[in-house]
Amino acid sequence: MVHIALPDSSINSEKAQSQPGYFADTGIPALIREMMALGCTGGPKQMIAKIAGGSNVMDPRNVFSIGKRNVLAVKKVLWKYGVSPRAEEVGGTLSRTVTVSAKNGAVTLSSPGKNNWTL
Amino acid sequence: MASTQKDILKVVESTKILSPSAAGLLEVASRENHDLRDIVQVIKCDAALSAKTLKLVNSAAFALQSRVSNIDRAISYIGENYLVSLAMNEAAGMIYDCDLAGYEGREGELWDHNLLTALASKKVAEFSKESINGNVAFTCGLLHDLGKAIISSFLEGTPAEVLESLERGEVHDYASAEEKILGMDHTQAGHALAEHWQLPEPIPSAIRFHHEPHQADKEYHALVYAVHLGDMIAMMTGKGTGADAMRYQLDPDYIDLIDLNEDDLAMIILEIDNEFSKLQKSMTING
Repeated sequence: MVHIALPDSSINSEKAQSQPGYFADTGIPALIREMMALGCTGGPKQMIAKIAGGSNVMDPRNVFSIGKRNVLAVKKVLWKYGVSPRAEEVGGTLSRTVTVSAKNGAVTLSSPGKNNWTL
Repeated sequence: MASTQKDILKVVESTKILSPSAAGLLEVASRENHDLRDIVQVIKCDAALSAKTLKLVNSAAFALQSRVSNIDRAISYIGENYLVSLAMNEAAGMIYDCDLAGYEGREGELWDHNLLTALASKKVAEFSKESINGNVAFTCGLLHDLGKAIISSFLEGTPAEVLESLERGEVHDYASAEEKILGMDHTQAGHALAEHWQLPEPIPSAIRFHHEPHQADKEYHALVYAVHLGDMIAMMTGKGTGADAMRYQLDPDYIDLIDLNEDDLAMIILEIDNEFSKLQKSMTING
């Protein structure tokens, strides 16, 4: 799992080196590399991707649409690897916490005031 | 509802008043024209806070090569924002550590959210078309959501119903839902607490209007907009306070006062994240 904060690492290459998961363009490749090093030898096309998050505040100028830009950047990198997300729950104004079960890969979402649900 | 309002105000009135040094520090830190020397004078009058300041500057968080034993030097290393955070954490730790059960939040989230808002508000202030003292924006951000701790227990069991109400469009944001349920929202409760603590302007205005910045007195407009955006940025980075995270409206009129583009915003998020980790680390060491 990788928790992306910003879409593009070009604003701080030092941070991208020390914390590649912070940016979409370095985080997804780092995640794929790690998974392959840990035994996913079939390559990215054999992997199952799920995306959650990217909530937004309404801003007519779109300056505050970081969530939307993060989701687009993640999809763009996945596309380069030939990976289509199996499932996604993105956008809106819901803040989501994501848990991945190491045992069976189940992705669970939670948000205060709501019951947990599976993606 | 009127009796709930009375009960909320009773909670405010029963809240312990701030220590003289914390109150003094906020009084100085809220002045548009203040400098570090004014802060030094306040810290020096409080032996416990002076000792904490020395402990902090000599901690691993600052990684200084030689030990600092002079309080003036320590304060110049640490800077105003750390000192205000340290003093508020000491003086109002019980409030910041509230578990926010009424928002289905967690203990520590209120402090984290206020601290991140403080850092973001200060950064946003740099993009203001009018001159704003960034340190004043920081102090206002650090106190902006204390009202949530006051009303949280009155909201227990309501988040699911509030979220449904928001989804049905019956209320336009979480603060409106609070007002509908309790007759008072967290900005009003926070403002009552600011009055109880006799905090000077612009702190009460920033607390009261951080979701409706256009309602603030013209004199404080740019500052309150900076706190409004700082609050939004903190929520966007995942540091909210429970069920209400992202459930507020961005006032689009910020463009008249704050000249911010998407690259600036990305840089702010990156910078406050680093600063937040450093501040948190030093607070833990000192705690």
